Amino acid sequence: MSKLLVVDDEANIRLLYAEELKDEGYEVVTAASSAEASDKLQAGVFDLAVLDIKLKNESGIELLQKLVKERHDMPVILCSAFSCYKDDFSAWLADGYVVKSGDLTELKQEIARVLAKKAQKTKTGA
Amino acid sequence: MDRECCWNRDVIEQEDCPKVGPGEEELLVLKQQRNLEKCCDCPTFLHDLNLLRNDANPLAPVLAGFLTEFCNQKTQIQSLVSFLDNKTLEIRFLNELGHVLQSSVDLDEVLSVALTAITAGKGFGMNRAFLLLCDREEGMLKGYLGLGPRDLEEASQVWNEIVQNDMDLQTLAQNFRLNKLSSERAKFHDVLEQLTIPLSNKDHIVIKALDGKRPIMVEGAFQHPDVPPELARLLGVDTFLLMPLISRNRRVGLIIADNFITHRAITREDMHSLETFGFPVAFAIERASLYDKLQVELNRVTEASKKLKEQQELIVRMENMALVGRITSSIAHSVRNPLMIIGGFARSILKSSPESDPKRTFIESIVAETRQLEGVLDEILNYSDSLYPTRDFWDVNQLIEAALRETSDSLSSLGYTSTYTPGYDLPPVYIDFKQLSYCLRTVLQNDIASCGDLRSIKISTYCDNDTVIMQIEDSGRSISQGELDRLLVPFSETRDLGAGLGLALCKTMLEKQGIPFVVTADELNGIRYTITLPTRKEEHS
Repeated sequence: MSKLLVVDDEANIRLLYAEELKDEGYEVVTAASSAEASDKLQAGVFDLAVLDIKLKNESGIELLQKLVKERHDMPVILCSAFSCYKDDFSAWLADGYVVKSGDLTELKQEIARVLAKKAQKTKTGA
Repeated sequence: MDRECCWNRDVIEQEDCPKVGPGEEELLVLKQQRNLEKCCDCPTFLHDLNLLRNDANPLAPVLAGFLTEFCNQKTQIQSLVSFLDNKTLEIRFLNELGHVLQSSVDLDEVLSVALTAITAGKGFGMNRAFLLLCDREEGMLKGYLGLGPRDLEEASQVWNEIVQNDMDLQTLAQNFRLNKLSSERAKFHDVLEQLTIPLSNKDHIVIKALDGKRPIMVEGAFQHPDVPPELARLLGVDTFLLMPLISRNRRVGLIIADNFITHRAITREDMHSLETFGFPVAFAIERASLYDKLQVELNRVTEASKKLKEQQELIVRMENMALVGRITSSIAHSVRNPLMIIGGFARSILKSSPESDPKRTFIESIVAETRQLEGVLDEILNYSDSLYPTRDFWDVNQLIEAALRETSDSLSSLGYTSTYTPGYDLPPVYIDFKQLSYCLRTVLQNDIASCGDLRSIKISTYCDNDTVIMQIEDSGRSISQGELDRLLVPFSETRDLGAGLGLALCKTMLEKQGIPFVVTADELNGIRYTITLPTRKEEHS
């Protein structure tokens, strides 16, 4: 079972993600801030992180840069209310990008795609 | 005494007096006036006077003395009258010239008038004149304009023309300015080039005249100790006049005038007349130069003011855009997140609710409504993005292939097949990649009712002069031209789209980039979209 870290400052969104992704068979851990995410990452190993770009008083992009630097083997999918971040070069560091929607199909597909890619990578030893 | 003259007769006939000519008939009956005007230098009267002397009349020598004195005074008076007549003409000429000079602020017009006046027969009648102007910034006196013939042949031609046309001074000057100014400048270009003298060269005779603020008549130029030999050779004349142009004690320039063709002597009178003429010319030149500078400054200030206004408008626009950006950012966070939560949980509930649950339709409605609201939100956010197009050169075929990949699933789900015919060797197009991609995706996915069995989309690109045409033909969708036109107006309602932006946003985005977007609809054959893409970087309003 893949273990996912969901970082979002909205409690209800964390709850929605957790419920929906658990239904998909993932183990889900949530965090409301960068600091909490860092703590959770210290405590365990995750297969993938779903990250909101705009956290309350923090930038998700900064957290993304930190994760890429420190946990380069853990893929990250960015979630945002803004489609414009797709064209932000910093956002290109992420393995996937999804615009927030009540229909989580795209997010679920993106998670499956990124995890499959990671598995393939591990398999080939690249 | 046997008198031969008619001097003592009250009335005479024309043939009696050889001195009374045609038009002077009144003198035939006016004895006293005839005596004063005609008798003093009449040989027959002098003959009668000699007869009187021969008769030893004591009045004869007295009369002869009176007569000699009278003749001398008459000659003097005539000379004075002639002088006064000339002065009157000169004053009239200067007055006319002054009027023209005073009323003009155009430097070329002033110079044309000045040099024409110096060289025209109706003016000072010099053969040739060169104008040199002071360039204070460079510290030089520079040859600016020359006027006059270069040789005898040209002189004959020009002077014949002037005689035949009988133009007054002002007309001559106008004619010169309109037709000959640039050609005269070119004609004397070589001379003018060499007539550049540093203002610091105080030993040069030209600078001496300028600094002394008095005209100098140069005679014997080739042997003159103060005249540089190259100047004498350049002008090719032995005698010339250097007339400084001084305005309010400031050195404006200098005129060199000569009689290069006729070699007529330049008199002191000529020099004094030209000196008098020099003052208004210098003043007019300085005023016209100042006016020119003023005009340049005015243009600069006007340009600066225009730029300032544009900057102010830009700032206001940027502030408005920033406001729009803040509003949309706020909408994105404040609306999208709750919308997502409502829609997301509604979907979760729907998944777990049994098919028989009567409340299922309510939840389905929530899901559908939130989906529609998310669509509207996307369009509004895209509209705010469209305010900032970022254009560059892109490969249009690559853009189409990417858009087709992204939309392939939704097109398949609607039962569509798509064919793409890329143009060969197309030049890069100057577009905002993101916006054009959005437009293409919108066109491909738009929600117009599908119809018929043949649902196909054909996309093609081809080069047309300086543009690349992208054409999308959708044979499976049906809409009337009227409805389509309404669809291109933002927030208009159509039977299928409700109140939305979709195609209207595409049109706005493309038009902002100066890209024509033409859509034609035929209820039987479907819809054709034509987008004309520029291949050159041009400014669009």
